[in-house]
Amino acid sequence: MSNEQSPPESQAMVEIVKVSKTYPPDVLALDNVSLVVNRGGLVFLTGVSGAGKTTLLKLLCFLELPTKGVIEIDGRDVSTLSKSQIQMLRQQIGVAYQDFRLLPRQTVYQNIALAMEVRYESPKVVKKRVLELLAKLGLADKVHTPANKLSRGEQQRVSIARACANKPSLLLADEPTGNLDPSASALVMDLFNSLTESGSTIIIATHDEALIKESGQRVVNIEQGRLQEILQVKFEGFD
Amino acid sequence: MRYFSFIFGQLRRNFRHGWTSQIMTLFTVSLSVLIFSFFFLVYANMQAASARLGDELRLIVFLDEAVPPGFQEEFQRKITNFNPVDRIVFVSQEEAFARLSERLGPDSDVLADLDPSFLPHSVEIYPPKDLKNLTRIKQFSDYLQTLPGAQKVQYGQEWIERFGYFVNLIQVIVVLSGALLILTSVFMVSYTIRLTLESRQEELEILRFLGATDSYIRGPVLIEGFLHGLFGVSFGMTSLYFLYQWIKGRFSGQGFINLFEISFLPQQDIMVIMLTALILCTGGSIISIRRYLRV
Repeated sequence: MSNEQSPPESQAMVEIVKVSKTYPPDVLALDNVSLVVNRGGLVFLTGVSGAGKTTLLKLLCFLELPTKGVIEIDGRDVSTLSKSQIQMLRQQIGVAYQDFRLLPRQTVYQNIALAMEVRYESPKVVKKRVLELLAKLGLADKVHTPANKLSRGEQQRVSIARACANKPSLLLADEPTGNLDPSASALVMDLFNSLTESGSTIIIATHDEALIKESGQRVVNIEQGRLQEILQVKFEGFD
Repeated sequence: MRYFSFIFGQLRRNFRHGWTSQIMTLFTVSLSVLIFSFFFLVYANMQAASARLGDELRLIVFLDEAVPPGFQEEFQRKITNFNPVDRIVFVSQEEAFARLSERLGPDSDVLADLDPSFLPHSVEIYPPKDLKNLTRIKQFSDYLQTLPGAQKVQYGQEWIERFGYFVNLIQVIVVLSGALLILTSVFMVSYTIRLTLESRQEELEILRFLGATDSYIRGPVLIEGFLHGLFGVSFGMTSLYFLYQWIKGRFSGQGFINLFEISFLPQQDIMVIMLTALILCTGGSIISIRRYLRV
């Protein structure tokens, strides 16, 4: 017991302990998964389609509940949180969904601002932040364009911008570069890196090997619901 | 303060999403308020008229031709034993003749050749203010009819009964229009908010993922119902006021309306109607929130 090294509580942003997720009737999506991600860390989740990457992200943003095991975010067991605590925690977690989840008839600005409005940020702060993000992601000229008039790559970047709007303590991104060309992917990674530098923790589910290799960050591979290997390119962990 | 600016931003968005249903709801609530308050206004005025008529109510007992000595005291004792009265006035044949003559004014000469004794002796009985109930007046009248020496009792029975039935009818209409107000306010507001929620389902889902609090999501919906009530009752009451002014201007000075001296609803009643409409409409939105808003 004493030989097991675990990071100090304050250092771990995400702690997944022996988590399993079974979908009815008996589809095992995650099997006894354990993972620790420290504050300010960036971790890539890799694996073939259906391996369980998206399920793991869904568990981390409370879209699903684990069948077994414990998930702690920011030192708090999420299964013990009240509804209002979950709402508060969600405001600190940015999620870039694979299917973007944008409001099609609202403009790029409105879609991104929504994330800050739920925190009652002042319009001045919202405007500054949204324009800053759009400039960083090469979408400065799309501020007033409705989301349904954008290309998929642009929609993806808007979804990422919305996830980053509140400078979240935890950012979950599901295939964030799936529809992007290399230059746009680089812009996204620059943004992610700037967030980690300011203390955000980022977990990215991706198939993009080039992205992983270029970043030199920690990689966790999921296969058939199990964490099979950890390629510690640049381990942030338990020392 | 910032909370309210977000709330009103959401409200603007909701209105843009379904302005036709919003206008329809506003119109329906206004119309319901107008219908109810119109009948309530009629009822309130009828009640006031009824009270005025009651103040002037008197029962006249026409007596046999011969009135024996001591009759007045005995008659008065029997009346007051049955029911206390405000006042009893005995009118002799001569007094009755003089009254008739006075009433005829310049035409009083038609009475010149008539004997004053052609009019009967009579007793005028002014019932107390609480003896306003039609049944009781009728009972009192029936009792007076049985007294020795009484020939006929008159109190404008037919007119009073018709008036009473009319007041009762208006009372039923007030109750029915009140029920209409309740149903339309609650159901229309609830239905409109349901449409709003359904049209915004996707947005609400995203708001939930973004960590929007219950008050952020529910606040605008609740206020939407409240505003339907506020604007609906304001338009309804304003329309009623103009309708009242029009009726007053159009019919003032004419016999029937003049009799009732119509007046607008007192402030207290207006406040109660407004408050009720606000509660009903807000209640409608609460129903929708509970049934259709999953946050």
